[in-house]
Amino acid sequence: MSPSRTMTLAVNGRPRQVAVAANETLLETLRGMGAVEVKSGCEKGDCGACAVLLDGLAVDSCLCLTWTVAQRAVTTVKGLGTAADPHPLQTAFAERGAVQCGYCTPGFIIAAKSLLDNDTDDPGEDEIRYALSGNFCRCTGYNKILDAVTEAAQVLREEAGVQ
Amino acid sequence: MYAEFDLLTPAAVGGALDELAKVENEEDCMPLGGGTNLVVDLRARAVAPKVLISVGRLSGLRGIELGEGRVSMGGAVTVSEILRHPERSRFGPALIGAAQVFAGQMVRNTATIAGNICCGSPAADLVPPLLALDAVVRLECSAGSRELPLADYFTGYKSSVRKPNELLTRVWWPEPPAGSASLFYKLARRKGDAITVVGVAVSLARENGICTRARIALGAVAPVVERVRPAEAMLEGNALEPDLIEAAARAAAQQSSPIDDVRASGKYRRQQVFVLVRRLLSRAWRSLSEGDHP
Amino acid sequence: MTDTRSEARGDANVAFRQVGKPLTRIDAPGKALGKTPYAGDYAMPDMLHAKVLRAPLPSARLKHLDVTKARAHPGVACVLTFKDLEKGTVATDIPGQTGFKRLNTDQQILVEEIVRYQGEPIALVAAETVAIAERAIDLIAFELEPMPGVYDMFEAMKPDAPRVFGDDNIVASYKIRKGDVEAGFAAAHVIVENTFSTQHIEHAFVEPEVGLAWVDEQEVVNIRSSTQCIEHFRNIAEALGLRQSKVRVRGAMVGGGFGGKSDITVELYLALLTRATGRPVRLCYSREESFYGHGKRHPFTISHKTGFTRDGRITASKIDITSDSGPYAYMSPYVLIYATEAGPGPYLVENLHIDSRCMATNNMFTTAFRGFGATQACIAYEQQMDEAAKVLGIDRLELRRRNFLKTGDPIATGFEVKSAVWTERCMDLAWEALGECTEASGPVRIGRGIAAYQQAYGRLVWLHDTAEGWVGIELDGTVVVRSGMTDIGAGQTSSLAQIAGEVLGVAMDTITVYNSDSSTTPLAGTSSATRGLYMSGNAVRLAAQAVRGRLGERAARHFGAEPGEIDFADSTVFVAGDRERSISLRELVAICASEGIHRAELAIFRAPFGDKLDPETGQGQVHPDYTFGAHAVEVAVDTETGEVTILKSIGAHDVGQALNPEAVEGQIEGGAAQGHGYALSEELIYDEGRLLTPSLSEYLCPTSMDSPRVQSIILESRSGLGPFGAKGIGEPGHTPAAPAVANAVADAIGVRVFSLPITPEKVCAALEAANSGA
Repeated sequence: MSPSRTMTLAVNGRPRQVAVAANETLLETLRGMGAVEVKSGCEKGDCGACAVLLDGLAVDSCLCLTWTVAQRAVTTVKGLGTAADPHPLQTAFAERGAVQCGYCTPGFIIAAKSLLDNDTDDPGEDEIRYALSGNFCRCTGYNKILDAVTEAAQVLREEAGVQ
Repeated sequence: MYAEFDLLTPAAVGGALDELAKVENEEDCMPLGGGTNLVVDLRARAVAPKVLISVGRLSGLRGIELGEGRVSMGGAVTVSEILRHPERSRFGPALIGAAQVFAGQMVRNTATIAGNICCGSPAADLVPPLLALDAVVRLECSAGSRELPLADYFTGYKSSVRKPNELLTRVWWPEPPAGSASLFYKLARRKGDAITVVGVAVSLARENGICTRARIALGAVAPVVERVRPAEAMLEGNALEPDLIEAAARAAAQQSSPIDDVRASGKYRRQQVFVLVRRLLSRAWRSLSEGDHP
Repeated sequence: MTDTRSEARGDANVAFRQVGKPLTRIDAPGKALGKTPYAGDYAMPDMLHAKVLRAPLPSARLKHLDVTKARAHPGVACVLTFKDLEKGTVATDIPGQTGFKRLNTDQQILVEEIVRYQGEPIALVAAETVAIAERAIDLIAFELEPMPGVYDMFEAMKPDAPRVFGDDNIVASYKIRKGDVEAGFAAAHVIVENTFSTQHIEHAFVEPEVGLAWVDEQEVVNIRSSTQCIEHFRNIAEALGLRQSKVRVRGAMVGGGFGGKSDITVELYLALLTRATGRPVRLCYSREESFYGHGKRHPFTISHKTGFTRDGRITASKIDITSDSGPYAYMSPYVLIYATEAGPGPYLVENLHIDSRCMATNNMFTTAFRGFGATQACIAYEQQMDEAAKVLGIDRLELRRRNFLKTGDPIATGFEVKSAVWTERCMDLAWEALGECTEASGPVRIGRGIAAYQQAYGRLVWLHDTAEGWVGIELDGTVVVRSGMTDIGAGQTSSLAQIAGEVLGVAMDTITVYNSDSSTTPLAGTSSATRGLYMSGNAVRLAAQAVRGRLGERAARHFGAEPGEIDFADSTVFVAGDRERSISLRELVAICASEGIHRAELAIFRAPFGDKLDPETGQGQVHPDYTFGAHAVEVAVDTETGEVTILKSIGAHDVGQALNPEAVEGQIEGGAAQGHGYALSEELIYDEGRLLTPSLSEYLCPTSMDSPRVQSIILESRSGLGPFGAKGIGEPGHTPAAPAVANAVADAIGVRVFSLPITPEKVCAALEAANSGA
């Protein structure tokens, strides 16, 4: 049997005590904690549906053992915005038709956020394609996802410029 | 996950080596880097260690250093860290090329250079360019450390000279000098997030119209990623005329021993070794003659 | 990137307020915020976790099965085998049909004795945790004795082939006999013969099959699952020996379907386990299990023999169609009839002879997949048209133009299409949109391809398809829509809101849609066959119109006007042309409520009903109507490596009326992407029935880096049978994309790869064969 221990996991800025077994993946822990916005699609890093930000970088939560992420900040799509105050990526995905079945959407938004925060705030179309190639969408053909990320990046640049 | 194991999370490299020193059976204990291969294997029950030692976040295994004519990377440097490094143009274009076609963003953000070497996959994308760049790996254990050329590291399919109590802590190679060029091409069944069908890295140096150093490394066409020394020898000391490049490419294809799998047949892979070695050598040589270093 | 041609609008006087506008879908914000629950996101107190033991061999006899150890394992609540079932079989008949069963498709729920495909379920486990359930699966002892199997549909026809289905392995067969083909061929100047084949394809929805079941206080078995079809509750009840009213299937937002969630997946296992344990049970397939757990797209081999006059008119066509059903029927007979009906494509063929049959094998069972046989037919007839053009020396588009069906012409089955047939316009616009040709360089060659199509929407007319929908207005003027229709991601619920909003003059955000509950929402049938908008859209339109009629009448009395003068917009009701005489919807509703005027309506929409085809001639009506269009593609082919890059991809479709152009583009773009993958990279590889590619790193769908921009050209003939003249676009967006790519590759390299997918290796082999003169 794998040993278990209680650890503190900060999800979307809220530290919580959880009992976690050594063999648990971050995906399993998060969903077990109720963070079901983190989706499971393949459990082997092929689809990106489970992507979360780990200290601001997008990772596949299905490939992280939870014990190894102690002390690190975990952000899910719910940590980016709310209905009253959505993140520009969330607004753009909804309004530009980038959401169809929506199951891949949380992972895409996380991967796009990671691109904009860590690589470039003004990505070209090929840079977006490259940053999202680990996220699998079967519905959209990716066109409107590219549109949404481009639009959100522009909104974010404008917001940053105003401040 | 169904696999059962304990997970050790030492705070420093020394602690990890102390834990590894206790290992008796190779299968019982495995170092865990980014986990992008190992966690998949654990779930598939392809491996069943009793203990994992997490080393992916150890500061002693991180950092990229440039100096004294070397590029040196800690074993836990991630593929993204390679791509985001401000001095990446000094690493060798073949390595950057391989990092750029490495999986998807999330995996690149997690997968480590040592993990890509140690997983032993013949399709590991960083290995051909590292071989072409004459990389050296450092293996450390609690009793000391040793260094050896990456070319001498693999002993067979998923097997290497690494002892169970050793950790691959660092990879370094000579900083590619002016007058050298390197290239990598990944032939795959799709463009994004793909498994390599044939991976080819070449590295050339040129002085006074003569090739002074040639490296050709092939991925996914033999049980291990390997250099094609006979072809390299054909090139060194000569001007690379099309006929010579073609002969070297033929030698590379001949040395390869690809298998049939769901991605491609061995026959096609061998054919493509010829096509890609010829193509990359021609491009690299042409770039050197034009004074442009890809 | 839409080009909505205003001159295409056939009815310029209709002024829509919401229809035709790219409104944000009502389901989109919740999904982008991570708030939308999917079927796998539900949990219940005291819930058990289930796992399925599956046969590792495709053809075998179950010699021995012992679950004693598994049952005794701590934490295991229940282990079920065939022997534990009251009734061992379930019907896999046409899902969602509201009437009686049509085919005898009963099959074993768990293996009784014979395993017929790899992955066939042998036992079910429910345990306290997933890990315990997995351990229990490991503890089940079983022995399989391999049996000779048949893994090729042509081998299955041989008299000595192992028998998998019936006496002859034929799951279904059809024929079409029209005109005089012998005379037609005699009159031909050129006869072109080719055979085309397609591969097993995986739906690869991102959300694997999942569900949660429990028994409630009324002894109703409740099943919450990810499904395209809640009407399975009837087959599940029958398999459980329960009354139909004692099984309730509820959906949730579905994480992709594409036909793969049309059949029963986890629901029956869950129902059996929750009944056996009395506790809630959750079952979630892993990705690998999803590969083994649901039916695939049928591989087809289609041979065309086509006679042409010198100037390119088709004189006769003989088509032979074979598909691989796997061991069970599922949707195979229906998929086959789609392929048969679409056999000659959108072309006028007076002398036609088609034989088709679906063969049982020990490969994975096959079922619905976007396009449903008409796609495979298109892959064949459109490549055949290009090959014929080459032989005839006639431009590819011109050859098509000379043979296209026109409005009122008879299709293969003799049925005369009443709606607009704008195939030619679509083709010309798509081709024109390719623009300047990309320049070839070095070993890279450029090629272009076109494919036109005919794709049915709605169901077979002899299924007597109906859908119900309910619309009501609350006392505060907000609108509620109830529909059993499942939402599989194409915007199904949002389109109902848009329709109700249009009719009742309220904004989308004042409408709430309740859907996908077999006990509390009016049954609407499965979301497949491009019937969702057509059937449920019409039902909701009818219901909304009835409500509008009653409210309008009351408003007319209020204003002393005629009911025909009343208009509804912006949550107000007024005399058209005189906004001074206006009342808020809320006030009007209050008046109606106080007077007992019914503010809600349950409507039923009936598609055209018809009889089966004449079995000897295959003549008659199969579908209510068809969508027509075309897809154009430009590719770059590296002739040394065989790699193909899609540079341009343009779909032009007459959608009748785009309710939401952004959603229509989404169907065209997503359908095209699936077509790109179908043509180039996707393939389930089976070795003697054993799957070699059970993961998303081996089964290769296009990624963002493989997917070009897709341009949508939306034409609106307003001639369809859907609401406001809409035709269906869910499947049609996909249908012509793969053959367009195949034709572009052939154009680039001058030689054709006759079997999909067109892998780099096949490209190289074809070039090599051509160069060596083979």
